[in-house]
Amino acid sequence: MSFRPRILVIDDEVQIHRFLTPALTASGYESVQATTAAEGLRELAQHPPDAVVLDLGLPDMDGKEALRRAREFYAGPIIILSARDREAEKIGALDGGADDYVEKPFGVGELLARLRVSLRRKPGSGEPAPVVRAGEIEVDLGLGMVRRKGERVRLTPKEFKLLGVLAEGGGKVITHRQLLTAVWGPAHEQDTHYLRVAIGQLRQKLEPDPGVPVHIVTEAGVGYRFLAE
Amino acid sequence: MALQAAAAVLGLGGMIEPRRLRRETRRRTYSRYAVAVGLVAVANACAYLAGRNLAGANLAMLFLLCVLVSAAAFGIGPALVSAFLAALTYNFFFLEPHYTFRIAHPADLLTFLVFFAVALATGWLAGRARDNERRTAEHAAATTALLDASRALAKTATPDEAAQALAEQIASATSGSAIVLLPGQDGLRLAGAPRGLNALGAGSLEAAEHVWANGEAAPQAERSSEWTFLPLHGVGARVGVVGLRGRLPPRSDDVPDLTSALLEQGGVVIERALLASAASENEALRQADQLRSGLLNSISHDFRTPLTSILGSATTLSDYESELKPSVRRDLLRSIQQDAQRLNQHIGALLDMSRLEGGALRPKQDWTDVREIIGSALRRLGPRLAGRRIERDFAARLSLVRADPTLLEQAILNVLDNAATYTPQGGTIRVAAQEDARNVLIAIEDEGPGIPPDELRSVFDKFKRLRTASDRTGGLGLGLSITKGFVEAMGGRVAAASPLTSAGGARFVISLPKVAETPRGLL
Repeated sequence: MSFRPRILVIDDEVQIHRFLTPALTASGYESVQATTAAEGLRELAQHPPDAVVLDLGLPDMDGKEALRRAREFYAGPIIILSARDREAEKIGALDGGADDYVEKPFGVGELLARLRVSLRRKPGSGEPAPVVRAGEIEVDLGLGMVRRKGERVRLTPKEFKLLGVLAEGGGKVITHRQLLTAVWGPAHEQDTHYLRVAIGQLRQKLEPDPGVPVHIVTEAGVGYRFLAE
Repeated sequence: MALQAAAAVLGLGGMIEPRRLRRETRRRTYSRYAVAVGLVAVANACAYLAGRNLAGANLAMLFLLCVLVSAAAFGIGPALVSAFLAALTYNFFFLEPHYTFRIAHPADLLTFLVFFAVALATGWLAGRARDNERRTAEHAAATTALLDASRALAKTATPDEAAQALAEQIASATSGSAIVLLPGQDGLRLAGAPRGLNALGAGSLEAAEHVWANGEAAPQAERSSEWTFLPLHGVGARVGVVGLRGRLPPRSDDVPDLTSALLEQGGVVIERALLASAASENEALRQADQLRSGLLNSISHDFRTPLTSILGSATTLSDYESELKPSVRRDLLRSIQQDAQRLNQHIGALLDMSRLEGGALRPKQDWTDVREIIGSALRRLGPRLAGRRIERDFAARLSLVRADPTLLEQAILNVLDNAATYTPQGGTIRVAAQEDARNVLIAIEDEGPGIPPDELRSVFDKFKRLRTASDRTGGLGLGLSITKGFVEAMGGRVAAASPLTSAGGARFVISLPKVAETPRGLL
């Protein structure tokens, strides 16, 4: 029998477990359920899973607090479930250590896609690939070189740094703050206009149709993702 | 003897004047009497120096002059005192036998009586004329002050502004300080007060509440607080309480009391402002009510339709699972999925609308590239646009704007969704992002039937759907009004134009103001 990653789902809604458990099982995962933050944290400490799906709206603990406590002893991927109109909550959770988020209500496909990305990026599962490919684009993080259709594309150092941070994310969302801090430094974490301009230029240089970006994708109000396809 | 008589007259004079006098006024009053007495003394001295050779009538003239001067200068009280004293001293010093109050000659008695009568009459008439004149001046001053106060009060729009103006006007009229308390959610609250006074002590507040409850000022003896509270009446009802501190103005029956006139007028103005604000509250309530009934309508219809389909499909699947062909099963499952998505969209729209209506919308303005936001709106809308061609016309260089990306995305998405609703399969939706000197413009054109001219204006209204397409669209009719609300909250504008061609079509434009300078990054 092949390796089945264990996914801990912490959500107080029974209905969520009712469809997630069979869906996860059918997709080759082993699913563990918890309905309170306390129960989830206990399970997380006793039998660390390969990834966690955490609902931020738990009855017994503030979602942010649950995330903070989990991060004290658990380094694996954590995907949060949050409502669409709660940008601040999402951004807070992402900056507070969550790997990615899914908006409720969600389709199973979406959650599984996020899980796959996160598990691929799981620490210890191998060094990040030195070369990231996405359609026509090839980003060589080691050499600091970008090719499009095999031809070298000239990027400014900031653009390359930005592309590098995005590509290393391997498809997970990276918040504005994380990008600004990584590329321009902590002093510029509010200067979103740098980011807008640089993203626009990256798209001009790399996207097949800059008007319909397929690789550097906007999550309005939250951040950006780099998608291989 | 003379002094005693004078004192008695003084006491009498004191009673003629209004009883509640300010201390200073009282001091001034005494000095007026003192000068009047002094003038009589001067008249006596003059008469003495002139010698007794002056005829009795001439002496009497001298004394009458003194009475007249007192009357003209100090009014009726001092004039009468002066008349009495003049008569007595005239008798005492100048009528035989001297230095007694007795009168020896019958002729002198007549002279004395006539003199006394003339002195009294002179004093009374002249004093009254002088008092009238002074009263007229006071009237004029009070009228002017009242006029100024009404001007100040008339300029106010809200109850609180009126309360503040009233407090200031009373304060300046009494040269003390004044506060105005209006009824609030829980008890009276300070609505008008001198600068720096923000709250009242518990004792004062209790006293004010007492006056508010009883509708009349507390008896002087029971007043414990530093403020004297008086009720403030409008035309119809009590509107508040006024607190006065410092010197209270004289209260007499005949002099118009500026303070009470101000109280009266202020009460009416505040009442009017209260009524006006109640009217606007009523209007807001009426609109909220309209929204609620619209919501109820839409929930009962627009939510039940997809729910019916979901429930029907799900029960069909569970009841006839084995008998259904795989293709039918897939169809039913797909319709469950689609209708659930539609419900989710409805709920999103209701939440957006309640954020707008609740006034809780605080756009998080950030540097935004509208092309990027259009892109993510198109991506989120995805399957809804299936079968329509999307034509993009984006300026290669476009200024950034200050906007809330999530609100802008929803605003654009709603217009695109509307375009998808009305554009038939195979039609084209055009999306443009351009800028002019002042604005960045997002234009979305559909190939729908167009909007009739008489409905164009109300296209951004809540629950507005084209009459011809009400059931087909399955929307709540909130999308465009949410777009308008969001865009305006970000400082932008929306506009609609239709028809675009003879076949119809509509264009929606979202314009967002450009910030003076678009920052260029450190690239």
